[in-house]
Amino acid sequence: MQSIWHYIKSFYEGGIFIYGMTMLLMYALLAILSYIAIMQYKRKSVYTDYAQLTSSSLAPGISIIAPAFNEGVTIIQNVRSLLTLNYALYEVIIINDGSTDDTLEKLITEFEMQQVDFAYNEKIVTKPVRRIFKSGNPAYDKLVVIDKVNGKSKADASNAGINAAAFDYFLCTDVDCIIEKDTLIKMIQPFLGEEDKKVRQVGEPCPECGYVHIIEENRRVIATGATLRIANSSDIEEGVIVRMRPPKTLIPRFQEMEYIRSYVLGKMGWSLINCVPNVSGGLGLFDKEIAIKAGGYDPLSFGEDMDLVTRMCAYMKDNKQKYAVRYIPTTQCWTEGPPNLKIFGRQRTRWGRGLIQIMTMHRRMIFNPHYGKMGMIVMPYNLFFEFLAPFIEAVGIIYYIFIVATGRINGHNALLLLLFVYLYSVMITSIAILWDQFVHRNYKTWIEVFGLSLMAFLEPIIYHPLIVFFALRGYYFFITGRKHVWGNMQRKGFGAKPA
Amino acid sequence: MAILVLNPLQVTNFFMPAIRNFAGLPVIMQIAICFIIISVALIVYIQFRLFIIRYKGHRLEQKKAKLVPFIDGLITEHILMRTDIDSSSDVNSIIIDTAAFNTPQLSGKESRQILIDRIISYKKGFSGTIALLLRKLYQDLEFDKVSYKKMNAFKWSKKIKGIRELVDMDAPISDVIVLPLTNSKHRELRAEARNAYIKLSKNEPFKFFDISTEPLLMWEQIELFKTITTTKDISIPNFARWITYSNNKSIISFCLKLIVHYKQTDAAPAIVKLLDNKDHTLRAEAINTLGKIKYLPAEDQLIHLYTNQPLTCQLEILKAIGRMETGRNIQFLKQEFLYSTDFDVRKNAAKSIIMSDAQDLIDELFQSSTPENKLILKHAMNPLIKY
Repeated sequence: MQSIWHYIKSFYEGGIFIYGMTMLLMYALLAILSYIAIMQYKRKSVYTDYAQLTSSSLAPGISIIAPAFNEGVTIIQNVRSLLTLNYALYEVIIINDGSTDDTLEKLITEFEMQQVDFAYNEKIVTKPVRRIFKSGNPAYDKLVVIDKVNGKSKADASNAGINAAAFDYFLCTDVDCIIEKDTLIKMIQPFLGEEDKKVRQVGEPCPECGYVHIIEENRRVIATGATLRIANSSDIEEGVIVRMRPPKTLIPRFQEMEYIRSYVLGKMGWSLINCVPNVSGGLGLFDKEIAIKAGGYDPLSFGEDMDLVTRMCAYMKDNKQKYAVRYIPTTQCWTEGPPNLKIFGRQRTRWGRGLIQIMTMHRRMIFNPHYGKMGMIVMPYNLFFEFLAPFIEAVGIIYYIFIVATGRINGHNALLLLLFVYLYSVMITSIAILWDQFVHRNYKTWIEVFGLSLMAFLEPIIYHPLIVFFALRGYYFFITGRKHVWGNMQRKGFGAKPA
Repeated sequence: MAILVLNPLQVTNFFMPAIRNFAGLPVIMQIAICFIIISVALIVYIQFRLFIIRYKGHRLEQKKAKLVPFIDGLITEHILMRTDIDSSSDVNSIIIDTAAFNTPQLSGKESRQILIDRIISYKKGFSGTIALLLRKLYQDLEFDKVSYKKMNAFKWSKKIKGIRELVDMDAPISDVIVLPLTNSKHRELRAEARNAYIKLSKNEPFKFFDISTEPLLMWEQIELFKTITTTKDISIPNFARWITYSNNKSIISFCLKLIVHYKQTDAAPAIVKLLDNKDHTLRAEAINTLGKIKYLPAEDQLIHLYTNQPLTCQLEILKAIGRMETGRNIQFLKQEFLYSTDFDVRKNAAKSIIMSDAQDLIDELFQSSTPENKLILKHAMNPLIKY
């Protein structure tokens, strides 16, 4: 009996050590990759005059899709902000997803909207569209408002927007996000400048047509994302960030740090090797044709953004087409982070639910060489280091308590191991903050940067256990089939004065 | 809240046994100790780097804030406010007091670069004698040599900086130097060299089209298009030349866009030949161009081609017929509108019917169409809906 216990213990501890070391090395690898990607981006973008290119008539059109559900408090300011982006050809599609407040009425009055006979082509099935509005005022001619029956998900509303979109690319965002003015030109760049988007010319000119025949080697960029940040304590005037500050309250402050690590270090690293697992629902630019062919957003998915990217990648592989999903490191979008534990918990529980749903729905892709990097890198990484991590951590804690309680622990060594993991975590977050400063000297003072980096010391003790707990709760809700109620995040609205 | 305070002795006592007995520890513990040391060192280093980045940035900002008004004052005094020059002055004979720009304040490398950037910034905002005088100042201060040195540097980013400075100051660069760079394997350098060549080459600014084997990416096309269409006194050739002879598909595609911009209708016969091209994206672009330049003789050929084309080309044909506005093929449009199963085909046919202004046919279609087709017609007719 003793030897069996010893065997299990050794196996478990060895396994966990290998798992942990792999995870830590993955982070180290991502730190290196993201550094290369950021430096490449910086070197290239420093010689690009984006301001001049925004007016180019050659730049392709983009449809901005922003679903709105009971956003009456902030809708006008947010739509105005979207209508003043710097880009030559774009439209703004607001989808009123059956709001029960005055969202639609405010839009109609403020922007002089008129109901129009719009040839709406339902390429992706959604809940019925009631009416479509266009503005009678030429100043708002970019604006389209769709009024539809509530689909109980952002995905359904986004799909209605995709159906009505006039252009080949669509940018999905949340109506309450603040988008930087140069976002569209910066995010379309990877679509138009993909290095591999070239044709290889072979042989002599063809006697029939006179041209050198070509082999299409296009790698089609199907989606692009950019860094999102938390704007809770920043100064905002007329829908523009005028003074960037790290959030003052604890939960949003942790999220700011987490977003920097996730976008600047994680997504940029993955982008370099074309293994981006997800383009955030807060800000993503997509190739409309591929998104529609992949079936659009899944209204039943809890992680509809990740699900769409996964299906788009799978579609490209199934059809033997080369593709890329890219990220840019600059901050292009500002969102209001959950301000308290209750709302934060709800958000993270939904994310946890979304992750387990995606892992079960797309399980055929895991370790499937047919799906290339998606099947052999992205999905296994998500399985082991995103999906299974909360389980493994929870089991680890229970095991730890057990061996402490039964006195089977070398206290000194255990403390050293804890210190190792803790300091490594602090180091990775510090690197992410440094990389972020390489991209742009965000925040006004060094003290603000230093203050934010100090959060890395508290994160493993306060924030990380919360994430693990809410992720496990999400898994539990998914497994037990508990009904999820869609609702607002109860936003305060940007620039709102305290009562 | 209790605060855990560790004194150095406690820390030493905690680590010393492990360090003293390092070789005898299990591998796991050895790895852990190594990573602890690396992590602590890196955390300290990162905080230091963060401080340095912020400090350097802050210092540069302060320096700029101090130097820019000083430089502006010098430029205003020695260039802009000169009373001894007018539009007929010979700039080369004007003497600029360069000593005023060689003060100790402007002596460092960083300060000199701020001065160069400022002169360039002024040069962009002025034309005529002032612009020429600013160029003379740049040359008298021997900044052109600095820029040439950058252009000949090994690093591509430096090369680009040098080329850009020289182009912005209208300094001459030999074709022999720039032309090979227009076909460089390095994308950014290639793009910059192409932009420079367009701006600097007086005789044949588009010569690099002849030698380009590297593709002109869509992003590069946008940048180049901006340069071409905003550069003054550029000699615009007939782009049909490259449509006919170039083997580089992206150059042909770009020339089609320039033909539309410069309304080169005499290029149309060369474009018509592209309708036989096997590449359907190029064919679609050719059809699009024919429609935009309203080349009416091609209309019947487009109708003739229609049936055998992929959807993208079919949609372009429908749009082109609408843009031509002849009304000669209204029956073809009607047929497509009524009988096509594809939504986009019907929508584009309807738009072209509306553009043809065939009111009788529109009334007839309203009477006979399905509810969905009626909606498409209303959509196409509504002036509020652009697309």
